[in-house]
Amino acid sequence: MSDPITTASFLGLSGALLGIGLFGILTRRNFILLLIAIEIAINAAVLNFVYFAAFASTPASGLNGQSAAVVLVGLAATEIAVGLAIVLALNRLRGSINVTEATSLRL
Amino acid sequence: MDLGTLIPQFLPEFVLLGAGLLILLGERVGLERREYFGALSLAGMLLAFLLVAADLGTPGMGGLRGVSAGQVDGAAIPGALYGFSSLGLWFQEFFLLAAGLVALAFLSRPSVERGAAVSYALLIFATLGMLLVTLAADLVYLLLALEITAISSYLLVGYTRRDPRGLEAAMKFYIIGALSAALSFFGASLLFGAYGTTSLSVIGHSWPSGSGGLASAGYAFLLVGLGFEVTAVPFHMWAVDVYDGAPDEVSAFLAGGTKKVGLFAFVLLFTVPLLLVGSLSSATGSARESIQLSLVVLALLTMTLGNLLALLQPEMKRLLAYSSISQAGYMLLGIAVGTAPALTGASLQILAHVLLKTGAFLVVAAVSALGIGPLVADWRGLGVRRPYLSAAFALFLLGLAGIPLTVGFVSKFVLFSALVQAEGWFLWLAVAGLLNSALSVFYYARILKTMYVDKSPTAEETAPARSGEPLGADGLGWGRAGAIALAAVAVVALGVYPQPVLGALGTAAQHFLSLGL
Repeated sequence: MSDPITTASFLGLSGALLGIGLFGILTRRNFILLLIAIEIAINAAVLNFVYFAAFASTPASGLNGQSAAVVLVGLAATEIAVGLAIVLALNRLRGSINVTEATSLRL
Repeated sequence: MDLGTLIPQFLPEFVLLGAGLLILLGERVGLERREYFGALSLAGMLLAFLLVAADLGTPGMGGLRGVSAGQVDGAAIPGALYGFSSLGLWFQEFFLLAAGLVALAFLSRPSVERGAAVSYALLIFATLGMLLVTLAADLVYLLLALEITAISSYLLVGYTRRDPRGLEAAMKFYIIGALSAALSFFGASLLFGAYGTTSLSVIGHSWPSGSGGLASAGYAFLLVGLGFEVTAVPFHMWAVDVYDGAPDEVSAFLAGGTKKVGLFAFVLLFTVPLLLVGSLSSATGSARESIQLSLVVLALLTMTLGNLLALLQPEMKRLLAYSSISQAGYMLLGIAVGTAPALTGASLQILAHVLLKTGAFLVVAAVSALGIGPLVADWRGLGVRRPYLSAAFALFLLGLAGIPLTVGFVSKFVLFSALVQAEGWFLWLAVAGLLNSALSVFYYARILKTMYVDKSPTAEETAPARSGEPLGADGLGWGRAGAIALAAVAVVALGVYPQPVLGALGTAAQHFLSLGL
């Protein structure tokens, strides 16, 4: 196949996306940026599904992957919506969306 | 598939969905009092509980679900999203039990409170997600159901929107939950990439052949992602903070309910791979042994560290959170071994934990409603001041420690004897479990001593009781008192006469395992 994209290079891309997302989740102080990091991390999985579906061996398997990707996109949107609700409530309560300022519970 | 066949198959789930939507609708049309919402959700949960019980009671279970007899505990249909197993239906009963106890206790919160309707609706939707998890036969379906539970429970933790501690707990819970979801999704996508399907049984049977490590990486990601969900050490740090900051009843639901969903997801994901350990060619067998080993290591770490950290805790809720972490270790152990008796033991341990942990956290809720502080030391002399409440709490603690005549003893006995029966190095796991149980007795005994031996604090030391109208049942609130009493009765009843449940669970576990082959 003359296709320049190999599975290994593709997994490198989605792995990098996941890595960037996880790094963001663990280091970001601003809740909105943290939400963006979550979105990036989840999209790594969506991209994987799309890629594997495109090169699936049977049509049924391809449809399986594509539908999984659509479901995950919906889930990611729900997850972010809930995150935004929590941000709004936090902001209303203490006027800040900085994650590190929420320290009333000890770790 | 049209709605005509779907609704009968998912009747209990639709009942819950209807109850949740009715509650939200009720709030729209101006209902305010908590009692209405509570009654509606309890009615929905009870109806769902009875429907599932009827399914379990019918031989072959054709009846109410509208599924043909062969479909329950039948071989997995290729490409099916969901399947009915009697073990799954038993877990539905456990989850409905936990949710029902919490809904009952919820009644004792202030009658008119912002978010009362929403909190009940979220409780119901979280339970709905839990019920769906037990039916999963497909990876994406499983993750979707897990997310329904997770998203509802983030919101449940912060539902008051006025309490900074609750909101902060919700934020932490959310961040960790999103992290765990991202890792699980990625793992699922790798498994799909390896075998071109998301069917759990196909993946489980194919692994690890012909995937070049892709599938093993997928399992590893799922193990970590779900490890967060079940608070396995080293992914446990969030749990203590979240249980501490959440409203007390919600902590009871998180520890007694939603955590067990992750454990059932472990059962669904890893039972088939683990079943064939030893009966396969060396390369395949060794890959499967590695997953068993990592589960066992996770379980041992979880129970030991959970217990050690609990020893040092001065705060009651955090202590219970650590003890809950360590208990998850025992359950993981049962799942990791993968024999029918061990799975029975793990299921029984989960049932025991649902009753004991929910009960214990509800006692904490009741005690804090009496205006007693969060430290273990604040409970000094409670045995004299509140004899019934203290007796119930003592019963739950003894159950958690595994003392005879409680359900905690039966479940640990079944689990550990299953480990001994499994022979080989599993024997040492039973020894480790027993040592851990002995360790846990130290901190449970410390609480008992504080409650019964130490002198009550003098009048000026005790904080004044919270203002507001006094609650029924001697200040505890009828709902809370009822839920605690129910849990206590069930703990003793199952401890004295466990045979029916034990037998049925054993058969269910056997069916479940034979399905996997």
